[in-house]
Amino acid sequence: MNPSTTDAKARQAAPPPTDNPGPAAARPAAPRPRRPVFTGRRGLSIAAFMAPAALFVAIFVYYPMIAGGQMAFRNWNLNDLTDTSWVGLKNFKGILDDPVFYTVLGNTAVWVVGSIVPQFVIGFAIALWLRRRFRFRGLYQALIFFPWAISGFLIGILFRWMFNSEFGVVNDLLEKAHLIDTPIPWLADPKTAMTAVVIANIWYGVTFFTIMILAALQSIPDEIYEAAALDGAGKVRTLFQITIPSIRGTLALTVLLRVIWIFNFPDIIFGMTGGGPSNETHIVTTWMISITQQGDYGKASAVGLIVVAMLMVFSVFYLTATRERNGKTS
Amino acid sequence: MLSRRKAAVALGLATALTVSGCAVGGGSGASDGTVTLHMVESLTNPVRTAVLKTLIGQFEKQNPKIKVDLISPPTEQADQKIQQMLQSGSGIDTMEVRDITAGPWSTNGWIYDMSKDLKGWSGWDALTDNAVKYSKDAKGRTYYIPYGFYGLSLYYRTDLVSDAGFSAPPASWDDLLKQATAIQDPDKRRYGYAFRGGTNANSNAVAVIEAYVADKIDRDNGFKLTDGKTIFSAPEALTALETYFKLFKKASPPSSVAWGYPEMVEGFSNGSTAFLLQDPEVIATVGESKSITKKQWTTAPLLTGPSGKAVQPVATAGWGIASASKHKAEAEKLIKFLSEGDAATTFDKKNSLVPILKSSADDTFYKTGAWASYVTMTESPDTYITVTQPRNSSWWTEWIQKSDSEIQKVLLGKMTPKELLAGWNTYWTEKWKSQ
Repeated sequence: MNPSTTDAKARQAAPPPTDNPGPAAARPAAPRPRRPVFTGRRGLSIAAFMAPAALFVAIFVYYPMIAGGQMAFRNWNLNDLTDTSWVGLKNFKGILDDPVFYTVLGNTAVWVVGSIVPQFVIGFAIALWLRRRFRFRGLYQALIFFPWAISGFLIGILFRWMFNSEFGVVNDLLEKAHLIDTPIPWLADPKTAMTAVVIANIWYGVTFFTIMILAALQSIPDEIYEAAALDGAGKVRTLFQITIPSIRGTLALTVLLRVIWIFNFPDIIFGMTGGGPSNETHIVTTWMISITQQGDYGKASAVGLIVVAMLMVFSVFYLTATRERNGKTS
Repeated sequence: MLSRRKAAVALGLATALTVSGCAVGGGSGASDGTVTLHMVESLTNPVRTAVLKTLIGQFEKQNPKIKVDLISPPTEQADQKIQQMLQSGSGIDTMEVRDITAGPWSTNGWIYDMSKDLKGWSGWDALTDNAVKYSKDAKGRTYYIPYGFYGLSLYYRTDLVSDAGFSAPPASWDDLLKQATAIQDPDKRRYGYAFRGGTNANSNAVAVIEAYVADKIDRDNGFKLTDGKTIFSAPEALTALETYFKLFKKASPPSSVAWGYPEMVEGFSNGSTAFLLQDPEVIATVGESKSITKKQWTTAPLLTGPSGKAVQPVATAGWGIASASKHKAEAEKLIKFLSEGDAATTFDKKNSLVPILKSSADDTFYKTGAWASYVTMTESPDTYITVTQPRNSSWWTEWIQKSDSEIQKVLLGKMTPKELLAGWNTYWTEKWKSQ
């Protein structure tokens, strides 16, 4: 017999799980059972209060998701919408057959890893520094958080001019410091273009780690550090045995969020290189936008679904791994 | 209690209906009979928007029952935004239609054919032949009235050319290579040519090829030869590209692999490059430069190929009406106003556009300074041949991205010019076959 069928039958035969194990008369002091929430007029009132939010989410989240998702399986080209027939997996096949897709995947990995590691390390260091009390700490905090308030596309344009080979401030400073003799064509050379966009992203993203880690650090009671100091723990030992374990949950969540955001963050690249030279800085999302600019929403939606699938798989693996580690240490 | 519940339900439903109403609604008529037209521009820039607002103000004064709400999205997103508005069928009455968007938008039935309404319009007689020609598609339908034309000319530094020992600006692509190479001196941060390797790199590469096949080009389709083959299949195309890529190697800044419009114009305006191939709108921008004086630069006619002829690919845009607009008559009134008399002249002059009105031929504004080269080109139509490129093809944006990316591959040594041309030839041949 199929064990899963047996389990299902056993579950059906068993009484439904309940908070009230015995007859009410046997336990006179027991509280009155709670009334089911969604019944009668009370339920109607709750539904009415929830309706605006539910409608809002349905219109602005689920409808576009479903509409976009179905385009991935249709011939949906804005340049000619007279034929939007269903084409099955043709759009997905087109993507997998396109060699640019694999270049773009490699670029995306470099973009995410190259951005997140320095962002995390620098953001952590700044957060540790800002945790201490010193004069003008508030001012420093404001200055460090400032990049987070600027639009990513604008940052891209600013860095595009800063990294300009002939007129940019980066080469100018390097030459004045006698570190280079001839200008580096940062955004024109495939070997340096990705480095340049990653540097811009590091500058932008450090702030987020600083904000999140600083908030978590402030939740650690000072008494723990005082006790550690009395026990003779040095700075490094305190960091690895008190600070990091205390905020492990925040760190795991922050890294997960940033991976997803950086993966989905085309703004800086679009402003700086537009994915060039010769696709060398295209990541999956900038490539997807360039496909929408061609009008091919079917193919772009298919890329979008692939991105969602990749990020879901990553999130599951990442959360499983971090949860296991947390479980072992706790 | 009951009334409180009823009130809660009513409040919830009212909010829900308001939210849904906001999402799909929108109106442009008022009880006093005033009509508000929603107008969206595409090739936006602050100066142009200001000019447009002034002209709209004049129109509103003449037509007190019509108000115009001008929407100016950032240029990079404008066409996509207009596309979305047209697709949704609301919130847009009149908009800027470009030669590259007219094809797909009319195919999808989003823009209105004005040909019947404009029959007998007095403004037709005042328009130049080109303006009338581009007002109609191949089937004679009018989806937009052009407000002006873009056309290439060579911006050059008079002082650098004479300092390098040349008595006249380059007339041909070979001359340009010679002069730009002589001027190039990277140690002094001085470069010969503002090469376009980034966004829209294809436009200048195709201009060189067209100049080299000028004698056998199909004027109605600038990507075709008179024998029906693509211009990329001609042996001259390879010679053209070899000259063009030499210009990059010998006479351009190395970073110009990634240069688009802003870098090219900046490179010329800040005095670091001697030559720039651009549209007339740059006349106004370079005129404001603080690095080079007005005496240090001017323009020369478009560069010729070995046959002594150049090919001018005409680009244009204009004003059209959304099919879903409920105020077509008012929108048409606005378009007529912008396409006639002072309004049309002001718009073209302030935005440095090749004019749409015949009367501009007598205007001294277009005969002096940097505009003189355009007069030369207009007066010699057999030397400076005007062609229509297949910019209204539904695959045009796909072509731009493909060709731009491949030009960068050649510049980076990942592809040869021969491979590039073979690929372009196959691409266009197959596209035309599939039509």
